[in-house]
Amino acid sequence: MSQRVLLHVGTPKTGTSGLQDVLFRNRERLLEHGILYPAERFDAHFLAALDLMRLPWGGLETEAFGAWDDLAAQVRAHEGTAIISHEILATASRSQVGRALESLGHRADGTGAEVHVVLSVRDLVRQVPAEWQENVKHRSTITFERFLEQLRDPARESRIATWFWGVQEIPDILDRWGHALPPERIHVVTVPAPGGPPDLLWQRFTRAFGLDGLELDLTVERANPSLGAPETALVRRINQAVNQRLEPADYRPLVRELLAHRTLSQRSRSPRLALPPDVHPWAADLCARWVEEVRARGYDVVGDLEDLRGPSASTAWADPDAPSETQVAGAAVDAIAALLLDNARLSHEEQRLHAELAETREALQRSYLRPSYRLRERVVGRLQGGRVGRAALGAYRAVRGRSSRSA
Amino acid sequence: MSGTPGEGRAWAWLDHLQAGGTTPWARWSAEVPTRGRVLPGAQQLELLRRLNLAGGVSPRLAQRVLGASAPGRGRPDLELVGATEVRGFGWAPVDPADLPDDELVRVATGLVAEDVREAAARASDPAAAAPRTARPVLQRVRTAWPWARRAPAYRLAGDPWLGSLWRRELAAAGRPPGGRAPEVLVLAGPLSVGLAHTWSARSAGVDGAPPWPQWLAATTERRHVPRPLDVAAVADRWATRVGRERVRVVVDLDRLPAVVDAPVRPQAPRLSGDAVELVRRVGVGLGLLVLPRARQELLRGVLVPMLHDLPSATAGPRLVVPPEHHRWVARRSVQVRAAVLRAGYPVLGDPDALVDAPDALAEAEGAPPSDAAVLDLAVALLRRHDDRGATSPATPTIPTTREDER
Repeated sequence: MSQRVLLHVGTPKTGTSGLQDVLFRNRERLLEHGILYPAERFDAHFLAALDLMRLPWGGLETEAFGAWDDLAAQVRAHEGTAIISHEILATASRSQVGRALESLGHRADGTGAEVHVVLSVRDLVRQVPAEWQENVKHRSTITFERFLEQLRDPARESRIATWFWGVQEIPDILDRWGHALPPERIHVVTVPAPGGPPDLLWQRFTRAFGLDGLELDLTVERANPSLGAPETALVRRINQAVNQRLEPADYRPLVRELLAHRTLSQRSRSPRLALPPDVHPWAADLCARWVEEVRARGYDVVGDLEDLRGPSASTAWADPDAPSETQVAGAAVDAIAALLLDNARLSHEEQRLHAELAETREALQRSYLRPSYRLRERVVGRLQGGRVGRAALGAYRAVRGRSSRSA
Repeated sequence: MSGTPGEGRAWAWLDHLQAGGTTPWARWSAEVPTRGRVLPGAQQLELLRRLNLAGGVSPRLAQRVLGASAPGRGRPDLELVGATEVRGFGWAPVDPADLPDDELVRVATGLVAEDVREAAARASDPAAAAPRTARPVLQRVRTAWPWARRAPAYRLAGDPWLGSLWRRELAAAGRPPGGRAPEVLVLAGPLSVGLAHTWSARSAGVDGAPPWPQWLAATTERRHVPRPLDVAAVADRWATRVGRERVRVVVDLDRLPAVVDAPVRPQAPRLSGDAVELVRRVGVGLGLLVLPRARQELLRGVLVPMLHDLPSATAGPRLVVPPEHHRWVARRSVQVRAAVLRAGYPVLGDPDALVDAPDALAEAEGAPPSDAAVLDLAVALLRRHDDRGATSPATPTIPTTREDER
């Protein structure tokens, strides 16, 4: 059984993709130091989280059956430290948390594995626009204004509000995940305020996960980069145009990956998404209350809780619901260029495959022309012409056991 | 373990519910010392109370209910009002009696989905299978070797829900579809009924469907009727494969058994709109447990027969088209009949039966699915599965060919 389990349960948009990428690519090196990151594929922990929480996710859930139990079994079988990380775990219910902890070896009497919960957190001032953008990158067509209305509705009945508060309400997440654990086993990692050293967040993760002193390849291949206001507005318009016609399996590589992540995120000079000035005080006030709540609970804070208060209101706010059309047009030109280049690449690939197919067909034709094949073909044709012949052929194929029976 | 008086009251109420009690939370006053890790959510506790009101459940099912979380996205497990200290964050605690039925349906359908999967697994276990009723030898031979019968071969197309139900019934009667050079029978009826049937088939299908009002609104925004209901087009597609002379439109379903030479006269039972909505919602939960094709087989081969055995699932109100769509349906139904007559395929029954007259649509009796009725059905199913324990359900044998979508 793992002696120590580090369970990173969120929150989204706190550098989790980068962290998971580093852990995944360095898993063999980590194992040499007794640290298990159990993943055969990059999204293994995501699938396990879907399975634990029985969440549908555009068809990916069908790849997730039994994934949590498999993950937990690997953790239990490991002697040493194990790390599990996925941000959607933040929304797990109390009974799902109970099941997760138990499956990882936690025991209420303290005899089981030493489970630690890690929660990386960022202020709502930055998280709210980031979550709207994330919704847009998952096909949503909701405006930023409507999104904010739904979040601020005290009833929290909308689909967007239930998800947002489930993965972002820090004290509630810590209540659900930390209920059965002593406060010293709860680690709150704060995302540094804007403008800090670029590797400060990684240093904090390193401390929280006990990776100090390990030589890891920190090249991040998978990240979840952010878009500016006009770029997000463009993706929302694209969603409105293609949602009815583009299957989820096509949307993911084309819109989310090619357009949003690989193309539009490169446009760093456009205005960034931010809270409207009139909404900023609401978010800042909520953050201030969370800071006091988390401080009072005595958790291990990695970083500075003051980071959670967030930046001050933007003086030049750009409304993504009424963006500069010039900027949107610029983003659209970049998007068209990316699609053309990708189309050209696919076209070349298609030509190459056509050539390969023609070669294969030619080779097949040559084999058909062999006298032995033509003789067999004639015999089979003759036999199929009569009832007795068909029966004999059926018997022969049954004995031989070839799939050609149905041909 | 100590706790606040409110927590003690909540733990005592939990004990009461586990013992089969039915007192609502608002009228509960006794306390016991707190224990355990966390209290179940208000949704789980109220669902257990509803099950108790319906006659009670086994300790095993009670434990399953209390430990269940609703699958998919939605409100989390909620706290009981008065049981916990007021917090400045999180969802507001609730009186479970005030919860919308939809919240309880979310939890209940997740449990029904588990039951359906378990029932199918048990049915496929030969050791646990119930002894089959002996069928006449001739009927068994015909089922096993359709080509050995003398009756003409046939296939069913058109209305996907009717096709699914009749295939099952006719297969059980020893006259499964198939055989050499089959006659294709395109099942059809009034468009309003066909729409309800198509939604039913999609709800119990591979991909599932949105709720009836949304599905209907999206359908009537299009110019064309759903593909399986475009009777002439379905007949044309089959005609290109088997020849025009082997395609017939069947409007009068009472004559179907005679046409296919069924040795018995099957009566395909119908499901209420609430029952189909339950199928749809169980399908959502089942989609998180099995692959899409298996989900369809379990919904049609296990859940639908379970519902056929439940009187309230067959006696409830049927689905009707709401007034805002009457004009579209009436106009399109006239077009469907005209296309059939123009195409010239033989029609078994009166082609006028394909038409939805505006008066008839206005007078049709029925209701859209209601959460309360769906919850009642889910509670009844959970209790029935709980009672039956190891009883084997119907084996999922229903043919699920691609004809459904034609």
